[in-house]
Amino acid sequence: MTQMTQSNRPLSFWNSSRRVFDLSLGEMLWSRRTIFMALVVGGPVVLAAIVKIIEIFGMSALRVNGQKVAGFGIFGVMIWMLFLRFIVPVLGVFYGTALMADEVEDKTITYLFTRPIPRGAVLFGKYLAYLACTMLVVLPSVMIVYFMLVPFSQLPSTFGSLLVDLGLLGLGLAVYGGVFALVGAFFKRPLVIGLLFAFGWEQVVLALPGYLKQFTIAYYLQALVPHAMPSDGVASLLQGMFRTTPPAWVCVAWLFGYLAVFLYLATRVVERKEYVLEQ
Amino acid sequence: MSNKTRYFVAISGAILVIGLGTGLVASYMGFPVSVFSSAAGPEELQYVPADASVVAYANVRDVMSSQFRQRFRELEPSSQDKNEFEEKTGLNFEEDIDSVVAAVLGKTDLSTKPHEGFLLLARGRFQAARLEALALEHGAVIGDYQGKSIITHHDNDNTNDTPADDMAVGFVEADLIAFGSVTAVHAAIDARRDNRNIVSNNDMMKLVNEIDNANAWAVGRFDAIASQAHLPAEVQNYMPAISWFSAATHVNGGVSGTLKAEAKDETSAQNLRDVIQGVLAVAKLQSGNNAAVKIMADSLVLSGKGKTVAVAFTVPSELLDVIEGMAKGRK
Repeated sequence: MTQMTQSNRPLSFWNSSRRVFDLSLGEMLWSRRTIFMALVVGGPVVLAAIVKIIEIFGMSALRVNGQKVAGFGIFGVMIWMLFLRFIVPVLGVFYGTALMADEVEDKTITYLFTRPIPRGAVLFGKYLAYLACTMLVVLPSVMIVYFMLVPFSQLPSTFGSLLVDLGLLGLGLAVYGGVFALVGAFFKRPLVIGLLFAFGWEQVVLALPGYLKQFTIAYYLQALVPHAMPSDGVASLLQGMFRTTPPAWVCVAWLFGYLAVFLYLATRVVERKEYVLEQ
Repeated sequence: MSNKTRYFVAISGAILVIGLGTGLVASYMGFPVSVFSSAAGPEELQYVPADASVVAYANVRDVMSSQFRQRFRELEPSSQDKNEFEEKTGLNFEEDIDSVVAAVLGKTDLSTKPHEGFLLLARGRFQAARLEALALEHGAVIGDYQGKSIITHHDNDNTNDTPADDMAVGFVEADLIAFGSVTAVHAAIDARRDNRNIVSNNDMMKLVNEIDNANAWAVGRFDAIASQAHLPAEVQNYMPAISWFSAATHVNGGVSGTLKAEAKDETSAQNLRDVIQGVLAVAKLQSGNNAAVKIMADSLVLSGKGKTVAVAFTVPSELLDVIEGMAKGRK
């Protein structure tokens, strides 16, 4: 009787989240979505290998105004163009919006909600699994790219920037994940809305003068990047022209603020919303 | 969590831990350039002492056989003096010298004893016996240092000279000679033997490593030269706040190159960029109908960010045509 009472007692929010995390991490890592993530994250590693091979043959892979761009310069370009502008938002959209939407679509959300755990913990545990899953793939990829491109002699002078990059990408994944977790929990077609936000709203607003860019995540993330912003097209030129860089502590505060607010709102939505499963 | 997931987490974590650990060790202890990679630059750098403030290199063979040089060959002065030198030494600069490395050694006073601070390393084909015989004829002495044959010459006319001021030629390898003061040549041999040479100087090698596709280049510490030269304070105050510089050029059909400087701070770099930008603007403005100046001014490209200032230049064949025409006209 006592044993039954103990097993039926609802778990605390943290314990519940941990259980969901354990369950979700494996599911996320070995899902079909991971093949997409491996392709996306493997791209920079392949590019770095090509650059390395070109350099071994005595040629320079990248030149600006006739000047050779050194390994760390190429690494900086990759952090900007591939990781910060593409990989982090895209993983945030695909994984973040799917946290709840997948369960609804597969009609398995009922099984989770009937367990004696807080409903918000389901989302939070899945969010932690998303964070672990993406960071365990993205950060090692950045590390491999760094060691492939930057000569050992330049490690002492560039390692600080790598640490900033890793922290920045981790924070980016966390904040985008939080925002898209809310989108996934609230909207019926979250992927389209997520893509519109990441590659529509953010890109357009950053290229415009005014205060609207403060309502983006990219504005604060890009202000913290320790590498020079590459200008690779009209959009980049405009973004560079209207770019303002708030102090680092302001950016970090805003990003953590966004993370806390969106994650809280997402858990509240999951706790209150009635998910109607389509027959 | 399944075993498959555990292995994945362990492998990803291991990559991160190994990377971060390597970076931390490198940051606190430093890595010599030679670790896991071959050193940049020519092998002769192993004879340049680690405290050298300037290192320069020229691929003589490349430059001599370039179209650029062939083009201006007929404008060169008479070869009578050259033939006389070749007869005495058996050395033809054009054919026997492959490359030259020059260095300004640290801790020398360039204002009072400039000859002590220079070291020249020439790789090529030398007739050691012939050179030794010629040196003996002119009062030189042949000695030995660490198993290397060294010819030293004392200037008897200068009574203030000490033995350390004597000039010397050391046959450090079968195809490599070191030329400079006795102290400099000894330092070169020691640098190679003790493996404490410029290759272990990470700051200098970083600059050498950045040089790409150049057959002549020079890198160095600007502030060290200024202090070694004991320039007056008034002059030093007007010098730009540059800590490092590099110059690289590629000579073939034309001449192209890059001059790069690292300022002491970002403000100094910005000031320097502004000054150069101004000079370029004036040059373009003044070029007017002077085709040569206009072509040259148009080829200059200023770049750089942070503490770096760089000017890239190209001397196009049109400009060479103009110069060639002018030279032939004078002749």
